[in-house]
Amino acid sequence: MNTFTECIKNEWNSFSKNTKIALAVLSALVFFFVVFAIQILFWGLGYTDMNNTFAMGLWIIGDLGFVALGGGAFFTGFMLYIFRVEKLEPLINSTVLIGFMCYLFTFILLVFDIGQPLRAWFGYTYPNWGPNLVPQSMLTEVVWCLTLYFLVLCVELIPIPLKHKVLDKIPVLHYIGHYLHRLMWIMAAVGTFLSFFHQGSLGGGMWDVLYGKPGWWRAHHQFFFLAIVGATAGGTCFMIMVPKIAERIMKKEVAPKESFWTLARISGVMFIFYFLFRVYDVYTMAVRYVPIADRRFIDLLGGYYGLWVLALELLLCLVPIAILNVKKLREQEKFLFGAVICGVAAIVFSKIGVVLNGFSIPNFPWREFAAYNPTIQEWGIMLGSIATMILIYWGFAAYLPLFPHLHKEEHHR
Amino acid sequence: MKKIERKDFLKVAGGAVAGGIVGTTVSFAPFDGLQWLVEWTQDQYRPEGGEEKFRQGVCPACGTNISVRMIGDRAVKVETSNAGCSVCQTLIQQLYHPERIQRPLKRVGGKGSGRFAPVDWNEAVQDIANKIKELRAQNKAQAVAAINGSGNAAANALVERLCAAIGSGHVYNEASLDELASAAVRVSQNADGALEYDFENASYVVSFGARLFEGWGNQARMHRVLNTWKANNTTFVQIDALATRTASLASKWVPVKPGSEIFLAMGIAYKLIMNYGKGGNLPELARWNGLNDFAPDKVSELTGVPAEKIDEIAREFANAPRAVAVAGRGGKMVSSSVAEILAVQCLNKLTGRMGVPGGVFVKAKSNRLGAVAQDAVARAGLQATRKAKGIDDFIKNGEKPELLFINEANPVFTSVYGLDLANKLKEIPMVVAIATLRNDTAALADYILPATTILEVKTSRGDAVVAPRFFAKNAADIVLAIAKAVEGVAQSFPWSGHADVANLIGADRRPLASFTLNLDVLRNGLEGVQKRMESTLPLALIPYEIPLVGNGSSLALPYVLKGIGREDYAFERMRVLVNPETARTLGVGENSTVKIRSSRGKTCRVNVHLSKTVAPNTVAVAMGFGHRDHTKYGSDKGANPLEIMTADIDSESGVADWWYTRVNLS
Amino acid sequence: MMTVRWGMSIDLDKCTGCGACQVACMQENNMPIFEEDSDIPKRVTFLDLMKVTNDYERGKNYGEVQVAFVPKMCMQCSGNDPQNPHPPCVSVCPVVATDVGEDGVVSQIWSRCIGCRYCQAACPYEARVFNWWKPRYESDFKKGLNPDVSVASRGTVVKCTFCSHIWKRERDKAIAQGEKDINKVTYTPACVSACPTGAIVFGDLNNPNSPVYETRLKNDPRAVRMVHSIDHQPEDERQRRLRIKEFPNPKVYYLSSQKWLRDIISGFQNS
Repeated sequence: MNTFTECIKNEWNSFSKNTKIALAVLSALVFFFVVFAIQILFWGLGYTDMNNTFAMGLWIIGDLGFVALGGGAFFTGFMLYIFRVEKLEPLINSTVLIGFMCYLFTFILLVFDIGQPLRAWFGYTYPNWGPNLVPQSMLTEVVWCLTLYFLVLCVELIPIPLKHKVLDKIPVLHYIGHYLHRLMWIMAAVGTFLSFFHQGSLGGGMWDVLYGKPGWWRAHHQFFFLAIVGATAGGTCFMIMVPKIAERIMKKEVAPKESFWTLARISGVMFIFYFLFRVYDVYTMAVRYVPIADRRFIDLLGGYYGLWVLALELLLCLVPIAILNVKKLREQEKFLFGAVICGVAAIVFSKIGVVLNGFSIPNFPWREFAAYNPTIQEWGIMLGSIATMILIYWGFAAYLPLFPHLHKEEHHR
Repeated sequence: MKKIERKDFLKVAGGAVAGGIVGTTVSFAPFDGLQWLVEWTQDQYRPEGGEEKFRQGVCPACGTNISVRMIGDRAVKVETSNAGCSVCQTLIQQLYHPERIQRPLKRVGGKGSGRFAPVDWNEAVQDIANKIKELRAQNKAQAVAAINGSGNAAANALVERLCAAIGSGHVYNEASLDELASAAVRVSQNADGALEYDFENASYVVSFGARLFEGWGNQARMHRVLNTWKANNTTFVQIDALATRTASLASKWVPVKPGSEIFLAMGIAYKLIMNYGKGGNLPELARWNGLNDFAPDKVSELTGVPAEKIDEIAREFANAPRAVAVAGRGGKMVSSSVAEILAVQCLNKLTGRMGVPGGVFVKAKSNRLGAVAQDAVARAGLQATRKAKGIDDFIKNGEKPELLFINEANPVFTSVYGLDLANKLKEIPMVVAIATLRNDTAALADYILPATTILEVKTSRGDAVVAPRFFAKNAADIVLAIAKAVEGVAQSFPWSGHADVANLIGADRRPLASFTLNLDVLRNGLEGVQKRMESTLPLALIPYEIPLVGNGSSLALPYVLKGIGREDYAFERMRVLVNPETARTLGVGENSTVKIRSSRGKTCRVNVHLSKTVAPNTVAVAMGFGHRDHTKYGSDKGANPLEIMTADIDSESGVADWWYTRVNLS
Repeated sequence: MMTVRWGMSIDLDKCTGCGACQVACMQENNMPIFEEDSDIPKRVTFLDLMKVTNDYERGKNYGEVQVAFVPKMCMQCSGNDPQNPHPPCVSVCPVVATDVGEDGVVSQIWSRCIGCRYCQAACPYEARVFNWWKPRYESDFKKGLNPDVSVASRGTVVKCTFCSHIWKRERDKAIAQGEKDINKVTYTPACVSACPTGAIVFGDLNNPNSPVYETRLKNDPRAVRMVHSIDHQPEDERQRRLRIKEFPNPKVYYLSSQKWLRDIISGFQNS
């Protein structure tokens, strides 16, 4: 036992000063997460700034963002295992881990967000299937797809820790890891199928069916498909961004440059699609869907989260389009990093726009745009979630074979 | 090294799991914990069931027949069948208020400390009776005084009778429409009674700031009147300095400068006399040379109403077959001067609308309780009584009594001199408050005697809906009990209970057509308003009411709190209405936090709500807020503007006319 | 089989804003009781008496500005096809906690609700409220609770159901008295019977003898529906729009002789 604590002590002493500060900050955030989690779960959602007009807020933005960005996992897996883009192999572990954590924390945030967490299982036992088992509620679909895809991600994730040099020496675990890995293409196919649906439903379909709300409603599930394209574009950027940050911190090349460039190229193309689709979406909203409710699109873009969020989203989209699609630019480290950050930000802002602007639009002509100012509890849980994700990723990167490329290099040496 | 680490880790993890399993099978703590968690988040109170029946009653505030749905012995709902007032629906909350005064309370802390301990009814009644006897033994019967509220007519009559039998004339009523109108009737018609308007038969109604559909008069009747007017196409002109709902329901809203209603009445009187030949009906006014100050152009300047508009109203008023002019600014809380009521009454007199269908009548109180037996002490006391004109006069200038009854009233809250009264109460040896809920005044008393709520009162339709709860008694029964405990007084109170007394009390409508205008009262009133308008403070403060809140007595009821809109009180802050133009010049905006300052002081912080329903250079403020002590539901919510409002006491009514105050925002 | 479709009409010309409907609703439906209830966006109440003025939206100044009160409860939307109702809030519920009945009333099972608030997002009338805090009833206030309406847990969405528990009560009484035709059962919601001027009336939208016969209301120039400006489009345009999307099609009609009030209630068409 003493050696165990000693070991941790040694490990801690081996960290640099900056690392220690970062760890302390992240741990503090996790601590606040726990404190506020108890408060919210036991005393209810009165402590948030959500209200009957602004029924959802920061946590839903978090859910939408996590799922869209974590959606890069399904798309990368899809590219690797189905389209056989082998160059993505060195990134796949990191991708699967990010996807897993994003989905895990989507669940966690949803548990906080619902008023009766102890009834969360009602989603499985009393699902709102309509006729012919077509889910009638977008949320029913989201809950089921998220759950199933999360299970898929678990299966995808297990081989990573099993490849740890200690665990790998245990024969049973070795074989489990091996066979699971060989099943991976099936998992990728199932994951793609599931992810395709809930990406669309949580990010888009959930909102575009709300026919009473002109700020959200669109015909033909247009926003549903838009959200899928958005997830593929932003998610792939995220899958580049995170290892790139790890690379900068660890000051080691975590994956071959070609892997990043390949993913960047895919992302760039997806961003072109996304941008065109989004512009078409804005256009149809402005000329067709909003006027049908006797309102003007520009009037809906008032308030605190209106026009500027939309404009910023579209502008941010242009950066990855301009950089990731040009070989010369995307192969320069700084440009690549900047472009993926802008790509991720574009998707995050699209979610902010959907949720905040959508809820702030007045429902009655005599009302003003609503404002929303998350309380410390909401921020605590949101930032605590992100901090936990960072810590998990850190742990995987430092102690488990998250980046096979690193170990390969070690062998070469 | 690594191997040991793994081993240790597995040991710890395995130990934790095994310990958990063992612990779970041995102890129920985890299950109990989960059970507790489920209860914590999912717990629902299940209302008790029972046999459903309906019991009949009457709402004394509006006279509406009510039917109360009972589940077992619990009253759960009041049914009014499209009638009634805003009080009717709150009766259940009054009945079951958790802070009801349950038994007689006697002060235990220092004077005004608000700390009480329960005592026995007999002990309380004996103690109060002894105080009366003591004062009478000292030949100081006039040191007994009483303030009546407006809720319980039988109790009010008995309080008056009790004071008369003891030998004191110091009985005052909380300010109300009827109280003010009675003062005017006393001055001009030499009668005892309030004014009553025959709205149902009127064809043209001009209201001088009376917010007829926002709590004014008998709310239930006014609701019926609204429908009658719609059916009969009655023209209704509302003169008001604020766009109220009444103004919007009116056929015509005439916006005036705050406080200038009296000038407009004079301007119309001028036109009626000069242009429409009505002077013969009121020669003393027609002959008065001061009348020339109220030619349309001059009145237009004073009131902000265009001269053509004044002419139009005068013409319509003169020509309408059954016109009536209504005085008494406000909703449930009315504030006006006798001069103003007289000025409006002049219009009715000029057009011959007094005591005729569709006109104005006198509602005289009829009291068949019989003569009071007064002994020598009582006669001496009455002789020595220097009665004040009205409640505010009594609070400010009156002699300090030694025993003060407060009968279901809250003058500390409803009077502009409330804070002075609060200080005075601390010096009065014995203050007895009769109340259902603790309020600003009762908290400063020496005894609080628990009164019943409306549903516990026996009515003409039979037994009380619910038997009196706790040890509460009808206020009339409380007064009877005290009276019967004083020798020499008891014989004037032969009744066994409040129901006997209630049968002997009533009011009849009398067509009193005689009207003598007291020009001095009128002139003083006109000068007073003019002086007020000359103040250097830049803004006018005028009140408005939320019908559900009224004068604030219902602010202790949570369902009333829940009904208050975002324009009036939101996020623990009271909001006042300011015109956007004025706000710009003052440098304040929507939701700015300000204090209202008058020559009498300043309010607590309030927030600004920009609205063009209020005139430029005017601040409109809701009444009924700012209780200092009115259960935990009603206390410390907003500001009570009466604390800073004008406190000039009307020489005839003895009540301050606080309607219009010059203020500043800071 | 129920042929009745409950509906309501509110004559705003008769509404004084007295608040009786609100309090009656709170008393009937066991609204939670808080010491401090001024956080209005989080307030739990089914009937919101909204004060509306024409100073901002219609640019009226002091002197011409008007004030009106608009009682707003659940509009019991039916979607484009009342025969096959599709209210905006019902299909979105992930756990089937809300449904629309044969009589067109949108119900909510409070003990089924998980509190996801998706229905609140879907409702264009802000008619659904969430128990942000645990509903409280201090000591004796519990005595005034109505056993016909269950008290909701914290963290669930609750809503106006046109007091359908009163209908059930009346139905049971009628059946006990031998009534066979369920469509003959009538009832009055709490807000309707409390209204002292009779501004709110209630009945069967399908019945020509009812005070709220829908065909008559639709042709009433004084009638509008809340934020439902499609009602005022020419017929062919209306049909075109109905083909493209669902509209709430609420069952509450507002009557007013004031054009500004009708305009502002019926929606944003002049904005």
